[in-house]
Amino acid sequence: MTAIPVVRHQRAAIDRQQAIAGIFVMLGLVDIFVFGFLADKGDAVFTFTLTGAAVSVPNLNLAPGPVSEGLGALSIVLGLLYAGLKLTSLSRRLTAATVMLAFVVAFLCWCDAGRTPLPFVSLMQTTMLASIPLVLGALSGCLCERSGVINIAIEGQLLLGAFAGAVIASSFGSIWLGLFSGSIAGGLLGALLAVFAIRYVVDQIILGVVLNVFASGLTGYLYDQALVPYQNRLNSPNTFSSIKIPVLGDIPIIGPILFDSTIFLYITYVMVALVHIGLFKTRWGLRVRAVGEHPTAADTVGIRVLFTRYRNVILGGLVAGIGGASLTIGSVGSFGKDISSGQGYIALAAMIFGRWTPLGATGAALLFGFSVALANVLGTIGAPIPSDFLLMLPYVATIVAVAGFVGKSRAPKADGQPYVKS
Amino acid sequence: MKRLLWLSVLVLGAGALVAPLAAGSSGAATSRPSPVHSATAKGPHAAKFLACMVTDTGGIDDRSFNASSWQGVQEAESATIGGKYLQSTSESNYVPNIDAFIAEKCGIIVTVGFLMGDDTESAAKAHPSQKFAIVDYTYSPSIKNIDALVFDTVQDGFLGGYLAAGMSKTHKVATFGGLKLPTVTIYMDGFWDGVQYYNRKHGTDVKVLGWSEATQNGSFTGDFTNQTKGEQLTATFISEGADIIFPVAGNVGLGAAAAVKAADNSGAKVNMEWVDTDGCVSAPQYCKYFITSVTKGIQSAVKSAIVTTAAGKFKGGNYIGTLANGGAVLAPYHDFASKVPAALQKEIAAIKAGIESGKILTPTRSPV
Repeated sequence: MTAIPVVRHQRAAIDRQQAIAGIFVMLGLVDIFVFGFLADKGDAVFTFTLTGAAVSVPNLNLAPGPVSEGLGALSIVLGLLYAGLKLTSLSRRLTAATVMLAFVVAFLCWCDAGRTPLPFVSLMQTTMLASIPLVLGALSGCLCERSGVINIAIEGQLLLGAFAGAVIASSFGSIWLGLFSGSIAGGLLGALLAVFAIRYVVDQIILGVVLNVFASGLTGYLYDQALVPYQNRLNSPNTFSSIKIPVLGDIPIIGPILFDSTIFLYITYVMVALVHIGLFKTRWGLRVRAVGEHPTAADTVGIRVLFTRYRNVILGGLVAGIGGASLTIGSVGSFGKDISSGQGYIALAAMIFGRWTPLGATGAALLFGFSVALANVLGTIGAPIPSDFLLMLPYVATIVAVAGFVGKSRAPKADGQPYVKS
Repeated sequence: MKRLLWLSVLVLGAGALVAPLAAGSSGAATSRPSPVHSATAKGPHAAKFLACMVTDTGGIDDRSFNASSWQGVQEAESATIGGKYLQSTSESNYVPNIDAFIAEKCGIIVTVGFLMGDDTESAAKAHPSQKFAIVDYTYSPSIKNIDALVFDTVQDGFLGGYLAAGMSKTHKVATFGGLKLPTVTIYMDGFWDGVQYYNRKHGTDVKVLGWSEATQNGSFTGDFTNQTKGEQLTATFISEGADIIFPVAGNVGLGAAAAVKAADNSGAKVNMEWVDTDGCVSAPQYCKYFITSVTKGIQSAVKSAIVTTAAGKFKGGNYIGTLANGGAVLAPYHDFASKVPAALQKEIAAIKAGIESGKILTPTRSPV
């Protein structure tokens, strides 16, 4: 009985390895024949200095032809090695990362050849900004799902957070109060999710979707009825300005990307660290994971299952609410209908792609943020790609990432299953 | 059993809250608290001529073409003319909203936006006695019961581009659109042409980021609602050295304004031009960054369409707004009146006269 599945499993693993190697070789061929041979004349120029920066870093000029062909050749060699050799999991991942990076660099060279220089620093700055709500949303997902409650309502939590942040900051004239109430608003939706999912054992996926529709309808209604007529009183908050961290913020390239941003980026750093350490290095986290994996066992050893779940779902809501507030008082200020525009769902995908871990989810969110930023920058430098395709880029990245990796990630075992003591 | 019960309660509750908004059929979406319903209160015989407007997805408060159209309706309101509107929250609302107004027997139905072109056409053909006006769309051949109002904004876009090129210190200016629609890209074409014209006249090399008339490709945010995208895109333009930004994206322009403000706070000299309406009126909080606004006379066109229809003189066919007839206007400089050099102001006035007389051609590749 047991022998057959093992063999099948091995064969599947080999097929998968061959398939991935094939993809690497194909990407290498695209590097050479599309990005290398078909590039426009002229160098691709990457700039690394923002205007007004103290230290200037020289520009990087790459000739797209030779660079792309070299990178393509490298990818093909790596692909062949990948097919032939037995590799450890780490070197496999490194190979994949190298091939992907080579592909992105070759692609950028092709896009930029003979056009306006490509501003690397601002590309990465936009990446960070676009990632903030995604990272916080994904962390919210991790907190909830690790304790065994599926959180589809991230979108709604972002939206309520954005709404409350803008309205409270505007009416009380305090952006800090706005930040605080944005978080609370997300937490309230989290509490609603918790009560219905845990106390009344409603199907959690349907519940999450309903809560999203509820948040969209509620904020849309209030927007029309209150925020439009009383625009100046209720919907024109101040926004957080960026804080440059002394010394660190002056480092060339890295400084402006990582250490010269609004408070939201710093909150995000802290949150990622807190959730990671909390979930994986503390007793608290061990208990949370036990509840998410095997609630009956956890209950047997005296962990309060329902309490843990309530607490985590509400905590998750609070975190996502901060992400929501970043959409209004962290950037444009005023609230607009459905301002979260689907980012909660992307955050959910990031969490799954990141295998329910805070660090993985952060990496995935950064990837999505990067594709958003890339689409922006490619449009502005006049890359030879129709704008409609650029707008699709983040979503294509989402689909590829989730479809390509979802087979390997595993949800917490009791995720989505209500716990009812028998 | 309990589970099911709660679920259904929840769904019903949420549904009841959301339904009137989503469908845009009644209640919340009909109108703001203005004396709209007073007509029906007086009884059936005192019924006013009703001008009914269907907004695009940008909503009534987009500080752009929906807002201008609604202002036009409000200006037309009088003792005998009443106005009301329905908001479309998505493109699937267009048909139900139009149908709702047909059922209400509105005197004229004003649909706003290029995207409503087809739906308005089929409604007009199905109800030949119902009179329509549509903003930003033309029909060829023209349709008898539709007043199609379009604006040749390539002309004032041209002026805006020329002005931007003259005001830019970095010799880089930028523009971006919301959706890639002809009514959006015609502005961008005009802006691009204006910059090229400035370059030819002054022997300069001012570059336009975000749009090229030759390739008809450029930067778009993908909708007219996501201000964050407008902010990010504008920040990218600024980091590439552009110091004058011209967003053609309705409300998304507010995101651009936020980015301009942030850049200004950090010491960069960046300004922008607003689109569709006079920015200093529709978004006064950012007035000090608006060199000018490239507007179109939607307001007056909608008003005159309603008033003439109410007077029984409905025309039908296509109306094209231009610099000459006041349908496409470069707004006053406001805070920049003293900052735009007198010589440049003179050149702008001369070019305006040149375009009006047809001496200066404003080519456009965007079909309008």
